[in-house]
Amino acid sequence: MKKKIGKALVVGAGISGIRAALDLAEFGYGVTLIDRSPHIGGILSQLDYQFPTDHCGMCKMLPLVDRDSSSQYCLRKGLFHENIDIHLSTELASVQGEPGHFQIMLRQKPNLVDPARCIGCGECVKVCPVEIPDSFNAGLSVRKAIYLPVPHAIPNSYIIDTMACTKCGDCEAICPTGAVKILEEVQKDFRILVVDDELILRDSLKEWLQDEGFTVDTAASGPEALDLLSKQAYQLMLTDIKMPGMDGVELLQKAKEDFPDLCVVMMTAYATVETAVEAMKIGALDYFLKPFDPDTLVPIVLRIYQDIEAAKEAPMEVGAIVFCGGTAYFNPADGKNTFGYGVYPNVVTSLEFERILSGTGPSQGRLIRPSDSKPIQKVAWLQCVGSRDIQIDADFCSSICCMYAIKEALVAKEKAEAELEAVIFYMDMRTFGKSFQRYRDRAENEHGIRFQRGRVHTVLQDETSGDLIISHIDYSGACREEVFDMVVLSVGQKPASGTTALSEMVGISLNQWGFGQTQPFSLTQTDQEGILLGGSFSGLKDINESVIQASAAALSASRVIHTAGGSLAPELIPDEPLLDVSKEPPRVMVAVCTCGDLLPKLLDTKQLVRRLEIDPAVNQVVFIEQTCTAEGWENLVDLVEKHKPNRVLIGVCLPYIYERKISELGRQAGLNPALIDVVDIMHIAQSSTLKAETPSTDEISAVNKELLAILGMGVGRLKWADPAPVPSVRIIQKALIVGGGIAGMTSALAIADHGFQVDLVEQEEMLGGNLNWLQRTLEGNSTKTILEETILKVEKHSLIRVHSGSRVLASYGQVGRFYTTIEHKEKGALTVEHGVTILATGGAEATTTSYGYGTDKAIVTQKELEQKLSDKTLEPAQLGSVVMIQCVDSREEPRNYCSRICCATALKHALHFKEENPDIAIYILYRDIMTYGFAETYYTQARKAGVIFIPYHMAEKPEVTTLDGSVQVTAAESIIGQKVQIDADLVVLATGIVSTLPKDLAEAFGVTLDQDGFFEEAEYKWRPVDSLKEGIFACGLTHSPRNITESIATAEAASQRALRILSHEQMPAGKVVAEVHHSLCSLCELCIGACPYGARTLDLDLEKILVNAAMCQGCGSCAAVCPNSASILVGFSDRQMFDVIDFALEGTALD
Amino acid sequence: MKTAKINVKDGDLLATLREFFRSILQLDDISAILVPQHLPMKNVVMPTLVTDPEQLNGANPLAPVFPMNAGKIVSRLTRKPTGGKVAVVLRPCEIRAFIELVKLKQGRIEEVVLVGIDCLGAYKNVDYAQMIEKEETEFTSRFYRNVLSGKEMAEQGFDLNPACKACEHPIPSGADILIGLFGVDTNKNLLVQARTPKGEDLYRNLDLSNAEEPPERAAVVEALIAERTAYRDKMFAETTEVTNSVEKLNIYLANCINCYNCRVACPVCYCKECVFVTDVFNHEPIQYLRWANRKGVIKMPTDTVFYHITRLAHMSTACVGCGQCSNACPNNIPVMELFRTVSFRTQKAFEYEPGRSVEDDPPLSVFREDELSDVVGIG
Repeated sequence: MKKKIGKALVVGAGISGIRAALDLAEFGYGVTLIDRSPHIGGILSQLDYQFPTDHCGMCKMLPLVDRDSSSQYCLRKGLFHENIDIHLSTELASVQGEPGHFQIMLRQKPNLVDPARCIGCGECVKVCPVEIPDSFNAGLSVRKAIYLPVPHAIPNSYIIDTMACTKCGDCEAICPTGAVKILEEVQKDFRILVVDDELILRDSLKEWLQDEGFTVDTAASGPEALDLLSKQAYQLMLTDIKMPGMDGVELLQKAKEDFPDLCVVMMTAYATVETAVEAMKIGALDYFLKPFDPDTLVPIVLRIYQDIEAAKEAPMEVGAIVFCGGTAYFNPADGKNTFGYGVYPNVVTSLEFERILSGTGPSQGRLIRPSDSKPIQKVAWLQCVGSRDIQIDADFCSSICCMYAIKEALVAKEKAEAELEAVIFYMDMRTFGKSFQRYRDRAENEHGIRFQRGRVHTVLQDETSGDLIISHIDYSGACREEVFDMVVLSVGQKPASGTTALSEMVGISLNQWGFGQTQPFSLTQTDQEGILLGGSFSGLKDINESVIQASAAALSASRVIHTAGGSLAPELIPDEPLLDVSKEPPRVMVAVCTCGDLLPKLLDTKQLVRRLEIDPAVNQVVFIEQTCTAEGWENLVDLVEKHKPNRVLIGVCLPYIYERKISELGRQAGLNPALIDVVDIMHIAQSSTLKAETPSTDEISAVNKELLAILGMGVGRLKWADPAPVPSVRIIQKALIVGGGIAGMTSALAIADHGFQVDLVEQEEMLGGNLNWLQRTLEGNSTKTILEETILKVEKHSLIRVHSGSRVLASYGQVGRFYTTIEHKEKGALTVEHGVTILATGGAEATTTSYGYGTDKAIVTQKELEQKLSDKTLEPAQLGSVVMIQCVDSREEPRNYCSRICCATALKHALHFKEENPDIAIYILYRDIMTYGFAETYYTQARKAGVIFIPYHMAEKPEVTTLDGSVQVTAAESIIGQKVQIDADLVVLATGIVSTLPKDLAEAFGVTLDQDGFFEEAEYKWRPVDSLKEGIFACGLTHSPRNITESIATAEAASQRALRILSHEQMPAGKVVAEVHHSLCSLCELCIGACPYGARTLDLDLEKILVNAAMCQGCGSCAAVCPNSASILVGFSDRQMFDVIDFALEGTALD
Repeated sequence: MKTAKINVKDGDLLATLREFFRSILQLDDISAILVPQHLPMKNVVMPTLVTDPEQLNGANPLAPVFPMNAGKIVSRLTRKPTGGKVAVVLRPCEIRAFIELVKLKQGRIEEVVLVGIDCLGAYKNVDYAQMIEKEETEFTSRFYRNVLSGKEMAEQGFDLNPACKACEHPIPSGADILIGLFGVDTNKNLLVQARTPKGEDLYRNLDLSNAEEPPERAAVVEALIAERTAYRDKMFAETTEVTNSVEKLNIYLANCINCYNCRVACPVCYCKECVFVTDVFNHEPIQYLRWANRKGVIKMPTDTVFYHITRLAHMSTACVGCGQCSNACPNNIPVMELFRTVSFRTQKAFEYEPGRSVEDDPPLSVFREDELSDVVGIG
C-alpha cells in the first residue's frame, strides 16, 4: 500500500486511456480516469476482433506485477484498480493552475439509475415504450431509452438516454430494487427564473424545464424579475436581451449587484455576438441564440445545472493530465462522394461492418446484409473514404484503415456461411507496421483476398436485387464495373467532437486538421507542460501505437508529477499486523444478505443454518438485511468484531464491488483479506421466485439447495485457504540500458529523472547512434539540436553512469535482480546489478547489391545521400535527373517488412532537391507510398512540386544499367502501358532498416528475436515493448523500424514499463501464485516446461524447484501438469477444489 | 548398425549369455552390470548389481519371470552422475519404462549401456513360484527351447502373463546392444547387434566377428507381433465391453481396496509420494457421512475408481504395458487390461509411443496450438 501523493487525470477511457491510467497506477500514483461515454473501452468495446491474431486480447494489458491491485478478468467487461477512480459519463469542466498542481473540475451527467441498486434484471427494458437506433451497433439495430450501453460490462447497470426518454415513469414503477429515479427530487431545489417579454417563449421554456424536474418561475420584464429575485433565491436566470424598458443587459447588471452568485444566461434573437460577449464580460455565464428547441436548449441547461452542482464540490488537484480522447470517424454522408451511403442500405461503414461481424451485433454475428438478410457472399472494401482526399480537406492518411480492411475481409471469410469473395479497392496498401506486410501477403496468397488498385468513383444500386455496382479505373487506366452484395467504406478519422473547445479550455494547439498537436520529436507533449496526449487524440492510431503512445504519455505525466514533488511515499498509517491464524482450526462466519425481506420468503433459513453448521469449521451463520447499505455493512463489521471468526464468507449480490470493503474489513479485523470471500447468491433470488408471493415447498427446497451449494463451495474454499502472507520479491532499484542512441538516452533520462540509477552501455566511444549522421526530419526539425541537448543531459546527470566503448558480455537473473557483466576494451570487465533491463541496441540501414549498387558512384543509398548533402559533396544545382527506387530488398522475403522511414526520407530529399533546384527531374519508383498519418501532406506537396511517382510491380521491377559512367533506369509505366527509360545523374536506393541486436546478446537476456532479427515483444498489440520475460524491455530500432519521434515514444514507453517495477522496493506477488511442496516433489521438471512465464527454475544446489513469485501469474499450468500436487496454486488446493466440487453437486443430494 | 554372432556351446544359451556378460563387465569403462539372477538364498529371480565377474553364475535373463520392472531400478542407479558406466540387462518393457523415466528426469541415460534381449515373455510371479518348485534347474532352458521352437506355452494349467501375450514389443529396439533370439538358430549361435553409437563403442571392444542378420528373423518377428497384436485387440474389445460406462467401471474395480500395490509396481508411476496417500485424500469423517447422505449408500473404501482414473490420467500416456500392476493386485483385478485399453487410445491421441526415444517429449510437456481440435472443438 502506497500513500498516493502524486495524482494524474486521464481523460478518455479507451485503450490508450486505460493503458496510461494503468501505467501511472502501477507506478504508484492515484489516477482519476474519466470518459464521457457511459462505459470504458472506447471504440474497442465495439470491435471484437483485432489483427494479427484476429482475436481480442485486451486483458493482456492488466498488471502482471502487483496484480492483486487490479481486477484480473476480461478488461472489456470492467476495470477495478485500487489506484484508479473511474468516472463515466463525465467530462472535464475546467482546468486551472500549473504543471504539477492543476485544479480541475469534472462534470458528470446525472445518473437516473443507481448502479449500486441496479441488478441488471432488464424488467425496465420490457416496459420502455421508446425505440431509437442503437449507437452500440452503429445504428444497425434499435434499443430502448433505458438500455445497457455495452452488452458485456461488469457491473452492467442500465442507464437512461435522457434525450430519448419520455419520462413516462414505467421503468421506475417496475424496477424491483428501486434503482430507477427518473424525477430526481434534488432537481426541484434548483430554481430557474425565465425572463422574456414574449409569453409563448416563457411558457414553452417553463414547460421544457419543468419536464426535466426543475422548478421554474417566469417574469415578463426586468423589474418583475428583480422583484422575484428579491423574494426568492434562484440558482439560474435565463433572460432575453431585447425587452421593452429594462433590457437584459441592464437586468444582468442590476441582478449581479444584489445577487453576485446568481448564474445568468442571455437569450437573444439577434445573432449579435457582440452584445452577448459584452454581457459575458459583465458576468453572464453564456448565451443562447434564438430560436431554440428543447433538443438543444435542455442539454445546455442541464450542463449548466451540473456545472453549478459540481462547483459546489472542491476542485480536484492533479499533477498532470493525459488526454486520450480518441478520434471520431468520418461520416461518408458528409463527403462530396457519398458512395450511396445512407441511401443504399448495403453500403455500410467499416465500423458498421464490425458490428455485423460481432456476435453481439444486429444479426448475432451472422453475415447477412441489412437490406434483405441475404447471406453475404461478395464484399468490396473502398479505402480512403474521408482520408487522403484534398476535396474534403483531409490531406492525411488515417493510418489504420488498410489493416482493418484486411482484417475485416479475413474475419468475414472465416465467418461467412458460404465461400466469400472479398475485394479491397485501394490506392496504396499501407502495411507499414511490424508484421503487416506478411499479414497482407497471407491474406492475398493464402486466403484469396483480392487487392484491386484504383479509386472507385461510383457505387450504384441495382433496384431489384439491392446489389451494388462498382465502377472503378484499374491499374491500366481502363474503366471497369463489378457487382457486389455489400460495399464497406473504410472510413477515416476526424477530430473527436469537442476537441476544439477542449483545446481552448486547456490552451493546447491543434494541427491544421483539428487534431491535437504535439511538440517536435514527441508524440505526447503539447505546448502546455503537464498536459499530454495519448492514443488517437493526435491522429488515428492502431492499438499497438496507441498503447506505446499511452505509456509514453504516462511517462511524461509521471515525470511532471515527480518533478513537482508528487513522489511516492510509504503509507503513513502503520499496517496493523495481521493475526496469525495458521495454527488455529478454521472458524468460518457465514454472513448471508437477505436483500431486505426477499430471501426469507424464499428460504427455509433454519434448515440452511443447520446444514451449514454440520461442518465444524462453520462457527456461525448470520443474516444481514441489506449488506449493500452503510448500515448493513456496519452490522456485518460489528458481527465480525463480536464473534472474531478467522475466516468470513459473505453471500451477497455483485461481489466485485466489495473488493475494497474486504481489504478494509481485513484491516479492521486483523484478517488477511485472502481469508474473506464474497460469493454471489442473489441470482438465485432473482431467477427463481422473485414474483411469487408465496413460493411452494418445492421452490423453497430448490432455493435452499442452491444456496447451500454456493455457500458450501465458499466455505470449502475458505476452510482450506492458506493463511500465509503474500510473498514478495526484492527489487534492485537500478536499470541497465544497452545502447546509447536516442532511444537508449531517452530511456536513461526518463528513469534517472525519477530518481533511479542507470547504467548506460554504448559500444561506440560516442553517444548518439544514428542521429550522428542524420540532419533533419521530413517536417524540417533539426536532429542536431535534440542530439546535443540529450547528450548533454545524459552526461551531466548524476544518476546515469555511461559505459561507452563497452559491450555486454553476459547476464543472468530474473526480474528485480539481474547481474550483467560489461566489458570495456581497455578498462576490462565489471559486473553491475540491476532490477530491469532496456534493450536499445538500435538498427542500421541495410546493405544491398541490387540495382547495380557498388558498380557506379552515382548509385547511392538514402543514407549516403543524406551524408553527401550534409558534407556538401553533392550539389543539387548540378543534378539534372534523380531516380529514387523504394523498397529495395524490402517487403519481399527474406526481409518482408516495411521500414516505415524510407518513403518519408525519399520525400524529404525530393522536396529538398526541388527547393534547391526546381529544374531537377525527380522520379520516385515505388510499390506503395507509406506516408501514413500527417506525413501524407508531404506526398501531396511533392506531387505539386512536380516529383513524378511511378509505381512498379514485384513481377516487373525497375532495371538499372550502367555504361561508361552514365546510369540508366528502365521502369514499366502502367498508365501509358510502356517501359520508360530515364537517364539518371543519381540513383538513390531505399534499402530499409535492419536490426543490429546481436543474437547472443538477446540470448544472454533471455529474449527472443522475430524472424527479421528484431526484438520479439510479449504481445504485438497489448504489450508492445515488453519481452515475455518480465523485467526486460526494448525500444527504438531494436524493437522495429521507426522514425526518431516514434523511437523516442517507444523509449518513453519502455521506461514507463520499467519504472512500474523500479518504483517498488519489494514487489508483492499476487494472492494466487504457485508454490512447491518440496517434500512431495520428484523434480521431474514438467512444471518448468509448462510455465509460460518462465517463473520456475531448478536450483541444482538446493535440489528444489523454485518459483519467482513476481513472475508467476497464477495460471495454474504447473499445478495441472504435476501429478501429485507437489506444485500447487494458492487458493486452488486439491482440498479446496474437492469441497467446491462436492458442494456444487449438492443439488443432486437426497432430501 | 553392427551385427555379430556369438557361438552357443552345447545349446546352452544361459552359459553363453553369462560368458558374454562377463566379457562386458571386464571392459575398462564398465563399472558394473545389472542383470537378473537366481538368488542363491531363495529360488527367485531378481535384478542384481554385479561388479565381480565371478558373481555372474546365477545370471538368468531368460527365466520367464520378472518380479518387478527393473526400469525403475535403473532410474535409481542413474539419478545422479557416478563417474562410471553400468551395463544393464533388461527386457524391452523395462527399457521402455526406463526411457520414460529419463524423460521425467528420474534417471540419466548418459552412464548406462542398455543391453536388451528378445523377450520370450513371463508368467505371473505367483505362478512361476509354483511351477519352478518341481524342476528348479531345467525350467528356464525347457522354457526357452519351447518358446523358440514355437510350442504352446500353457502348461501345468499356467499360461503366460496376458500382458506378455498382448505385447507388440518383443524386440528391444531401444537397446544399445541387442541380443537376438527370434529367427536365429539358437542351438548354434546368438545374434548381437549394436544399435546406437554407444552400443557400437562397446561392441568394438568386445572382440566380435561381424555377421549378417539371419534373413528369416524379420519374418519370424513380424509373425510374432501379428499374433500378439491380434491377442491385444481381442483384449481391448473385451475390456472395453466391460468398462465402457461408469457403472461397469465401478463393477470392474469393485474389489479394489486402495492398497496402491499397482502404483508401487508400476515402473512409470514416479511420484515420490502418491497424492492418494497424502492429506488430500485424508478426508474428514463428516465428509464420508455427507457423501453417504447424498446417495443413501456408498462403497467403502471411497476413491477407488477415482484413484484408477487419476492414475490413468497421469500415466496412461507413459504406460509401457509391462503388466506388473496386474501382478501386484491382491484381488486379481485385471488392471493391466484396463490400462492398456485406455493407454492405446490416449497414446494414439497424442501420436505418442512411450519408451520409443528420449527425444520424444511427453505429451503434456508439449504445447501445440492446433492439436486435438476434434476434442477441444476449435481449430
